[in-house]
This record gives sequence, C-alpha cells and structure tokens, in this order.
Amino acid sequence: MKKMLLTGVLLALSGAGAVKVGVLLPLSGSGSVSGQAARNGYLLALDEINRAGGVLGKPLELEFADDGSSPAKAVPEFVKLVTVDKVDFMAGGVSSATSIAISGPAKQYGTFMAWIGAAAVPVEDAFADHKYFFHYHPWSYYNFEAILGYFKTLKTQKKARNIAIAYEDGPFGSAGINDTVAAFKKAGFNVVMTEKFKTGSGNFGPIISKAKAARPDIFYWVGYDTDALPLATEIKQQNLQVGLVYGTPPSWPVGFEKNQLADNIAGLSLWLPSSPQAESRKFVAAYRKKFGNVTEEYFAPLAYVNLKTLAAAINGAGGTDKDKVAAALAATNTPTPFGPLTFSKSNKTQYQGFKAGNWLHFQFQGDSRVPVYPIKFAQKPMVWNK
Amino acid sequence: MDLFFQTLLNGLLQSGIYALVASGLALAVGVVGIVNFAHGEFLMLGAFLTWGLSTYLGVDPLVSLPLAAVAVFAVGALTYRVSIRHVLLAPELNQMLLTFGLGILLQNLALMLLGGNTRTVTTGYQGSSISLGELSVGGPKLIAFGFAAAILAGLYAVLYRTTLGRQMRAVAQNRRGSQLIGIDVDRVYLIAFGVSCGLAAVAGVLVAVLLFASPTVGLVFALKAFAIIVMAGLGNLTGVLWASVVLGVSEALVQTYVPGGGGWSDAVFFLLIFATLVFRSFRGSR
Repeated sequence: MKKMLLTGVLLALSGAGAVKVGVLLPLSGSGSVSGQAARNGYLLALDEINRAGGVLGKPLELEFADDGSSPAKAVPEFVKLVTVDKVDFMAGGVSSATSIAISGPAKQYGTFMAWIGAAAVPVEDAFADHKYFFHYHPWSYYNFEAILGYFKTLKTQKKARNIAIAYEDGPFGSAGINDTVAAFKKAGFNVVMTEKFKTGSGNFGPIISKAKAARPDIFYWVGYDTDALPLATEIKQQNLQVGLVYGTPPSWPVGFEKNQLADNIAGLSLWLPSSPQAESRKFVAAYRKKFGNVTEEYFAPLAYVNLKTLAAAINGAGGTDKDKVAAALAATNTPTPFGPLTFSKSNKTQYQGFKAGNWLHFQFQGDSRVPVYPIKFAQKPMVWNK
Repeated sequence: MDLFFQTLLNGLLQSGIYALVASGLALAVGVVGIVNFAHGEFLMLGAFLTWGLSTYLGVDPLVSLPLAAVAVFAVGALTYRVSIRHVLLAPELNQMLLTFGLGILLQNLALMLLGGNTRTVTTGYQGSSISLGELSVGGPKLIAFGFAAAILAGLYAVLYRTTLGRQMRAVAQNRRGSQLIGIDVDRVYLIAFGVSCGLAAVAGVLVAVLLFASPTVGLVFALKAFAIIVMAGLGNLTGVLWASVVLGVSEALVQTYVPGGGGWSDAVFFLLIFATLVFRSFRGSR
C-alpha cells in the first residue's frame, strides 16, 4: 500500500509542471489520411524526446484532438485544448479551412502555434499578424512554383501546351486559382479548361467529358484523397487521352498505388521513403521499428520534425515563455528528412519553414511512388502517355 | 453535340446509384413510416464489407454483393428489433432523433474500429467502358443502373404480386386495420426495414467500387436520396427511378453548362426539393 502511494506521489510530481503540447489533427473526415500519418509522426517524435530526457527535465505530454476535417468541429476542440487542457503550445493543423476557422481564437488567446499543414494563402492572410505562428509546410504558391517548374520542363521536352484544371471549391483548391491560371498563361501554356468540383462527391463524369472536348496535354487537379479514385476511374472510362494526369492532394487514399487506375498519375510530395538524405533514412528505420511498416505520407515525417524542433526550442529557451521559445525556434537550423530546416519570412508571415525547393514530383509506377523530377532525385523516367 | 449527349449519359448513369440508395429509403418511409436518417450509414456498412472481403479474402465486389445485402439485412432487422419498433407510435421528432443518433453511432463505431482513412477497392472492371461512337458508357455505373432498374422492378413485383407485398401495402395504408385482419404487422415492418437496409448495402458495394469506403461516405448519398423521395412523393417506389434520373441529369447539365457548375451541382438537390414542395403546395391549394 505504501509502495503504491509512493509511486503515485512520484508520478504526480514528475507530471507536475510538464510541458503540454496540444495537437489538433483531422483524425477523421476528408483529411484523415494526412491526420493519421501526422499522428504517427508525433508519437514517434514523442518517444524519442522522452527517451532522451523529455523537455525541461520532465516527460513531454501530448494532447491529441480530432478536428474531423471540419471547421465547425475544429474551433471548440482548439478552444478546449487552450482553455480547459491548458496546453502550453499548439501543434498540428492540416486543413486550410480548419486553420482559418481557428485563427480568431488563436489570436484572442495569443496561442503559440507550430503548424504543419494549411497551405492556402487565406491561412497566411489570417495569421499574418500573429507573432507566434510558425508554418512548416510550404504555402500554396511555393507548391505551385515547384509545379510550374516541372510543367515548364514538360513544355520543353514533351511539347506540352494545353492544361485542363479541375479544382475543389474549398479554400485549398479555390484560393489561388486565378493566380494559377494567370501564371500558366504567363509561362506560355493554354489553359483550355478551368472547372470546380465538390470534394468527396465522386461525380466527375461531366468534368472529364469537358476535358475530353478540350483536348489537354496535362490534366491538373487540386483536391483531396477522396477524389483520386473516382477521377482516375472516370478518366479511364471516358478514355481521356492526356500526356500526364497530375494531382496535388495532401495525401492519397490507402492502397491507391496498388490500383491499376493509379498507374502513371503524378503528384507532389515533400518526401518519399526512398529519399536519400541521412535524416530520411534514420526516420524510415525508426518508423519501421515502432510501427512495423513504413508510410509514404509526408505528413508523418513533417509532424516528426515539427515536434522535435519545438521540443528543442523549448529546451533551448529554458522555459515556456512564448517569446523566448519563438526566438529559439526562429533560430532553428537542423537537418531533416526534407533537407535543412530554417525559418525565414514568406510573403506575409514571419516564420516560414520549407519552400518550393523542398518538393519532389513522383509518378505511380508499379505499385509505388517513384520520384521522377527534379532529375537529380529521379529514379525512373517519367511516363508520358501522349 | 457529343458533349451534350455524353452529359445526358453521365447523368443517366449517375442516377443508377442514386436510385439504388433512394429505393431502400423509400421502402422504409413508405412501409414502416419512418424517416431513416441512418440510411447512409447502412450504405457505409456495405461499402466497408466489400472493402474488407476484397482486401483480406480477395472476394470480387460483385460476388460480395449478395453477402453484403444479407449481412446488412440482418443488421437492419436487429436494429429494428432493438430500437425502431419501440418508437413507431412515438412522435415523429422522437423517431428522427433515434435514427439520427443511430447514424452517429454507426459512423463513430466505424471510425473507432477502422479509422478515418479512405479505403479503395481494386477490380479488373473498375475502369471498363463501352464505346458508342464518340460516347463512352462506364462499366460499373452501367452495372449500378442495371441493378437499380432490376431491384426497383423486383420490389414492384413483390409489392404487387406477392402475399408479403400485399401485406406491406396493407400495413402501409392502415396499421390497425391490418392487425385486425390477422397480419403480423411487426414481422412485416421487420422485413421491410431489413430489406431497406440491405438495399442500402447493395448501393454501398457499388459505391466502394466507384468511389471509396470511409465512415462518412454515406452522407452524400443519403442527402441525395432524401431529395429523390421528396420528388417522388414520400413512399412512392415507382417514382424513385424517374426522380433519380431528374436529379442525375440536372446535376450533369449544371456541371457541364453552368459556369462554375461543379461548385453548384450540390445545390441542385436543394433546388429540386424546393421546387417540388412549392409545386405540390400550389397544386394542393387549387
């Protein structure tokens, strides 16, 4: 009895004053593939941090909350983490729509946010004046910069001129669509179709019919994982003759690579398990050891890097004072599975992590994602279907 | 002109899935007299069963179709026995709250057991199509349309040519009167609700092939099914097919010919519900 009491007291003492990080993720709903991948990344980082002595001499604590990929659910979950659970810092954040929704309470409570996703420019606008907002994921214009670079290569090498665009009608797809079209035109492409769709509806018949009539060289779509298979199915069924189908969902459906309809569809990723950097190899080995498999979703290593750098900054600051932690995190210069991470200004925010140069282009070939561009990382030649 | 005919064809094929989902819902509304807000979640069960059988046992979705129908029929019958029958005489609001709660329960059980990930099924015929000149007819959607037509014809035959069907129609018209002439009303309700859920599962199988399986996949189709049964008239099975065609074709036309139509297509069913209700009230007031 005494022993049990003593253990309880010791546990209570060890927990007292521990740093708590709230993690808001889409563990369900349309963004859940990214959210679940990120959760594993956080758990792996948490293990390593606590094995190495924790933060400020105590085990780091994580409080996970599911935003359900829905702004309406994200706001109360965020407020609960900040006001009831009294977390010291917030991490996570995948969806742009949920991130915009919580921008009000985040600024109201002065919450420190180390944010991994939410690439849409309206998020950047919403957090432009928030002095504790650290954004790890490239903003959508950095994504587009990488895509435009790749398409310019296709224009030279494959004579690709005509682009058809399909985009989801939420902030992720719609926010930058006018700039996207303008930039394609400025780069000498003909934008032969620009069509909206409702993500998750699966009703792509009319869009593909219109694309077929427009005869594009590249079919470019911006949506979520739920749209990938219905689009691929409709493209195949209507026999859309196109050089390349290129999608930019934050994640792809589980098992999509094994479906023959995925063959030759290309996409963008910050990371692949085959990435050659030493930090990537270390991450893959650690992930495999903990979970028994390896993920291809880049939100897992992104979350891992997010928590590791945040923990290092808290230790560096010697406490949880937000200004000191912000100064320490801003000074980050560390190797990661994506390449070196430093923070610099973006168009509107103070602390931006990864940028255009970190993106890889891959193509589904033979049951896996094969890097095809930039050429220095390409493992196989790209398949052009025209 | 090809684009116009392809658009009509796209709408027509899409309506097959809508009709499959709506026929089950129409049965529950028409016979049992309950608006089942958990109908989409029974579709989700069918989709996940298909995914599970295909992924772990290599069973083709078309083979798993009868298995899913029977399994979800059983779940539906059990649901009726455990919960639905107890609220049949309660105010409609209570009935709606119960089925709404059932939907949330099933969705969250799926989330807990399977996670929120989007799961896909792989088949050899997923991308198959038939070419009609420049037009293209997708194989799985054609199958769905065929199933919908066959199932609605079958349901019609059962309702108008069999003893069980006559009992269902009698119970739908007058519960008390049916009891007085010796019909086992409870048994009829159980079968009708079970069949309704089984039909949702059949739609779920085809949704898994065409789209994906996820805990929330049923919601989109359930909303469309509500629009269809409102257009067809509550409980009117024969009206389901044409109402599905109206919805499917309207959505396709909006998507193709209205600027930014992809964003507006989900508003079509609201517009159709509104137009139907206004038309009915106008006709009723004369």
